[in-house]
Amino acid sequence: MRIGIDVGGTFTDVVLVNDATGQIHYAKTSTTPGNLADGVLAGIEKVLAIAKKSIDDLAYIVHGTTIGTNALIEKTGARTGLITTEGFVDVLEIGRCQRPKEGMYDLSVDNPPPLVPRDLRRPVKERIDRDGTVVTPLDEGTAEAAVDVLRAGRVEAIAVSLLWSFVNPVHERRLADIIARRFPGVPVSLSSTVAPEFREFERTSTTVLNAYLQPVTAAYLDSLSARLARQYGRELDVRIMQASGGSMTIRDARERAVNMVNSGPAGGVIAASFIGQLTGFAQVIGVDMGGTSFDISLIDRGRPPVSSERSFCGYPVRIPVIDLDSIGAGGGSIAWIDPGGALNVGPRSAGAQPGPACYGRGGERPTVTDANLLLGRLNPKYFLGGEISLDVEAAHQAIRQHVGDPLGMSVEDTAAGIIRIINATMVKGIAVNSIERGHDVREFALVAFGGAGALHAGDLADEMGIRTVIVPTLCGNLSALGLLVSDARHDLVQTYGRLATESQPEDLSRRFGDLEKQILERLRRDGFPPDRIEVLWTVDARYEGQSYEINVPVAHDLDLRALARDFNAFHQRLYAYSSPQENVQLVNLRVTGIGRVPPVRLKPLGGGAGAGRPSAAARPKAHRPIFFFGRGFVEAPVYERDHLPVGAEVAGPCLVEESIAGSVITAGWIGRADEYGNLILRRQ
Amino acid sequence: MAAVDPITMQVVRYGLEQIADEMGYTMMRTARSTVIKEVLDFSCALADRQGRTIAQAHHVPMLVGSLDITMKRVLEHYGGGAERLEEGDVVISNDPYLGGQHVMDMQVFAPVFEEGTLIGLVGNIAHQVDMGGMAPGGVAGGMTEIFQEGIRFPMIKFHQRGVENPEVIRMIATNVRIPEVTLGDMRSQVSAASVGVRRFKEIYRKHGPATFQSAVDTLLNYSEERIRQGLRQIPDGTYAGEDFVDDDGIGDEPFRVAVTIEKAGGGIAVDFEGTSPQARGNINCPIASTYAAVYYVVIALSDPHVPPNAGAFRPVEFRIPEGTVVNPRPPAGVTARTNTTAKIVEAMIRALAQAVPDRVVSGSHAQSTTCGFVGYHPRTGKRFSFTDIEVGGAPARPYRDGRDGQDSHLARFMNTPIEAAEMEFPILVERFQFRPDSGGAGLYRGGLAVQRDIRLLADASFARYADRHKFAPWGVAGGKDGAVGEFVLNPGREGEQRVRSKGLSELRAGDVVSLRLPGAGGFGDPLKRDPEAAARDVREGKVSREAARRDYGVVLKADMTVDEIETARLRGTGQT
Repeated sequence: MRIGIDVGGTFTDVVLVNDATGQIHYAKTSTTPGNLADGVLAGIEKVLAIAKKSIDDLAYIVHGTTIGTNALIEKTGARTGLITTEGFVDVLEIGRCQRPKEGMYDLSVDNPPPLVPRDLRRPVKERIDRDGTVVTPLDEGTAEAAVDVLRAGRVEAIAVSLLWSFVNPVHERRLADIIARRFPGVPVSLSSTVAPEFREFERTSTTVLNAYLQPVTAAYLDSLSARLARQYGRELDVRIMQASGGSMTIRDARERAVNMVNSGPAGGVIAASFIGQLTGFAQVIGVDMGGTSFDISLIDRGRPPVSSERSFCGYPVRIPVIDLDSIGAGGGSIAWIDPGGALNVGPRSAGAQPGPACYGRGGERPTVTDANLLLGRLNPKYFLGGEISLDVEAAHQAIRQHVGDPLGMSVEDTAAGIIRIINATMVKGIAVNSIERGHDVREFALVAFGGAGALHAGDLADEMGIRTVIVPTLCGNLSALGLLVSDARHDLVQTYGRLATESQPEDLSRRFGDLEKQILERLRRDGFPPDRIEVLWTVDARYEGQSYEINVPVAHDLDLRALARDFNAFHQRLYAYSSPQENVQLVNLRVTGIGRVPPVRLKPLGGGAGAGRPSAAARPKAHRPIFFFGRGFVEAPVYERDHLPVGAEVAGPCLVEESIAGSVITAGWIGRADEYGNLILRRQ
Repeated sequence: MAAVDPITMQVVRYGLEQIADEMGYTMMRTARSTVIKEVLDFSCALADRQGRTIAQAHHVPMLVGSLDITMKRVLEHYGGGAERLEEGDVVISNDPYLGGQHVMDMQVFAPVFEEGTLIGLVGNIAHQVDMGGMAPGGVAGGMTEIFQEGIRFPMIKFHQRGVENPEVIRMIATNVRIPEVTLGDMRSQVSAASVGVRRFKEIYRKHGPATFQSAVDTLLNYSEERIRQGLRQIPDGTYAGEDFVDDDGIGDEPFRVAVTIEKAGGGIAVDFEGTSPQARGNINCPIASTYAAVYYVVIALSDPHVPPNAGAFRPVEFRIPEGTVVNPRPPAGVTARTNTTAKIVEAMIRALAQAVPDRVVSGSHAQSTTCGFVGYHPRTGKRFSFTDIEVGGAPARPYRDGRDGQDSHLARFMNTPIEAAEMEFPILVERFQFRPDSGGAGLYRGGLAVQRDIRLLADASFARYADRHKFAPWGVAGGKDGAVGEFVLNPGREGEQRVRSKGLSELRAGDVVSLRLPGAGGFGDPLKRDPEAAARDVREGKVSREAARRDYGVVLKADMTVDEIETARLRGTGQT
């Protein structure tokens, strides 16, 4: 038995899989912002009760948390000091000197402020060059002075980031000793440990982020461990989701705070990939539409993409991060009229508080959810299984007053307009994401989840020429399911920076071997037997003179000719050209260790139903007027998702409702419930 | 034609913007050079059948409206005479005297036909790494004619009816230094244009000719109206402003950029009468760059989030005398034009400061400093060429300090990491840090400049163009000027000397070049600055104790907190 727990802003989602039977159970509890561990414990208790299981059967828990993200958004991390090479204390603040795209014409838009003010950024006299040679030895007097200033400045964490430390960490390590001696107990993050890659600003930014978040996340993890131990009388095996889409132990998570940021959306991507495999689609685009955002992830050949060049809240991080784009389009996105008289939707959201006007919690602005309600796509009496009763009159009022009347349009036309505009925004997001990565969207299936995903997915697919939409089972708890199926993961990197032609396979092999040894040790320590361990060697490579790299897998025999050939092929696929006569530079060596968890084998529902053969006809639970593009309001059948028999087919235009979401099936589409409870929509 | 409803207009607008973005991503994905892939020095646009820009995707304000001029010219050129556009044609042009920016910026255009009728045009512009000429990469002072700057294409068919023209390919391959990169990037521009053509037809068919054209008209009117509304917030009147380029790299005389702005209702006219005649050095600014600088200021001060289409440009009228640095005649060189375009922005802001003192910003570092180090790498024996671009302080605003060490206005780009540069080139960076006290004092302080000290580990030539080494970034509304920039060779050592902002020097291994950039001016009376903010600057070492006392009238105690009594006393006497 395994449990996945995803703590979101509003709800804590819990999924339990009984490995003996393949049965899945889920629960939703309210997130408890004061003390997040309360909500986690309540969630575990609730799901155990639903599943009628005891904690004694638990193998492990995988936990995704927004604690790091929240601390970063709310700027409630630790008071942090930074030690750098003399002459370079401002690298963190200058960054790459580029203002944000939104600030191209808007003089008020700035990059986020540095997390360490200048008086807490202290220099030490030292310098190492590109070969790792000590040009200027570490002056311990300046080091001690720097530490003393930070201690006097009452910092709660220290980041150390020296030039070229990833080639030769000797000065950073010596600084760690000096800090331990002169300022005992303060947590220290070394750039040569946190992100040992070249490009000083990005490495420093990652290290500072780790130092800034570490005291907050470690305190949470300690309190959670203690609460669980007290509740259940033993240490539970709790693993923490990383932004990379793999889990780590609590012990590792205490040190690697930065890896915990953004772990929630990563669960969603892993789940979309899992659902793709379950339903036989290797090319899927996951679209997760919640209250405030629309997350897009493109999964090519079953592999969720991982990138090392992302940023969190505007701060660059150089750690492996699941590659997803997020745009400001959700159920709570607010419709508004700009000074030129055009209707816009988002990116501002009414969020969960006050929420859409129809929630009746004081929200006055019209939102996408209000529009869906007026178009008959949401059932006012069945939202969140009836937990919230939606106020149609409030939605009507909000749309009429703020948008319809100023535009001189009827409320229904306005509501349809709001949906058209939010759909156009999402189509643009998906199109740009896929073309940026060199893919044709028409070859992909959409996996639509989040509370609002399946209300819109059919229209999006129609717009983009996509032929299949999968609405997964548990589509409102999918991130928690993703946590549950994710493997453990460790990543190590070393910058190398030599041309392939001047590299010796023996030298590379030794370097990879050293990294692999550390990775294997970590996975062993995590409790993975050798037959569950997989180790991948990859190289970030580029043509000499380029300033961006492509990550290419390498075989353990280190055939450099094969490596160059593979690089050329990757380059051709990604960038539509290759240049085999040019020198290939091997920039970073990476080793990824995966600890495979046992596969989750879901139990088919309804036993005995043959594929493709309807075992029973679907019967609508009601008919009501629902709006469809190209048709207007149609008296359409409404089906209850939980009552759809396996193999049953429903034809659009119709609506399939469930307690936490709904699927709009447009004309020309057929929806079919598969044996795992997924709803597969195909265009006829 | 009747306007479409505002929802259809928005849906068409997002569709068009999506096409422009898709063209951009196609180019980023398939281009060869870093300038396109990482610096994002490119723009993509769509025009209707009249050549009016209906959507644009760009990342650098310098390119706003650039294609609007040439797309119209392409349609004019192929509109009446013997030369005609046909389906599958691709036209290239990089002539600054035909609406281009500089020779390095290649433009590619493709017509869109539906059932034999021209329905629109797609275009893009991208910075090439080399177009021939006397200097690799085009960075060099001392050029005096456009002929030295590279080969020019004055609207040539690169493709005819879908087939690449082999003669043009041969011509380019013969004249540029690294043909596979230049041709690779040009072909990537063509791929982007093909994507644009295909998607343009799709959106046109989806909405139908009547709705499409009506939506486009509505969209252009919408952008126009947004700009006009913004302009109406600026009091009517005539406002004059000026700024200066230090010199043209050949002589020592300054060049004046003069603007007279006439603002009436929702319209604005910009007159450059009084601007210096064109320069011998290549700081001349072709008309497309002059337009971009003016559009930038108008958009930033009236409606920064307007869709930048032809409608947004309609409220602006120009009077630009020919033969000046802002509208040169051939064969004036234009490569270092950003020296002058930056001053157009600053002069306009200075003029408008008289109209809306509470909405303008201070003078900035203006021109990004561009340096090229070229020599032979001792490690490989091969030639290296390191282009380093640095920025100074960003302007102070009526509500916030200027950004320290960040780009501003027309430039928007990323610097090269120190470790990336040292990995590749024989240099050791000794310092990359703010210059304290370089931000002009004010109620809101001007952005600090950076200083970058580079030690050469091999002999190299040092080519550069920079500005504001003589004319300081000005303060506004009572704010003080920021620091000027300077280049110092071997600071603190024997042979220390200041070198000029534009030029070429031969340096030896072991030499240190100290690039000290200009800061930005301050906004508002420094004596009104929150003493706590001034004290924080001192604690952070951004402003010295002495400057805090002298410029801000703020005195700090030994523990670095504000000495309120002394401060009040000083500020009381300071406000005479």
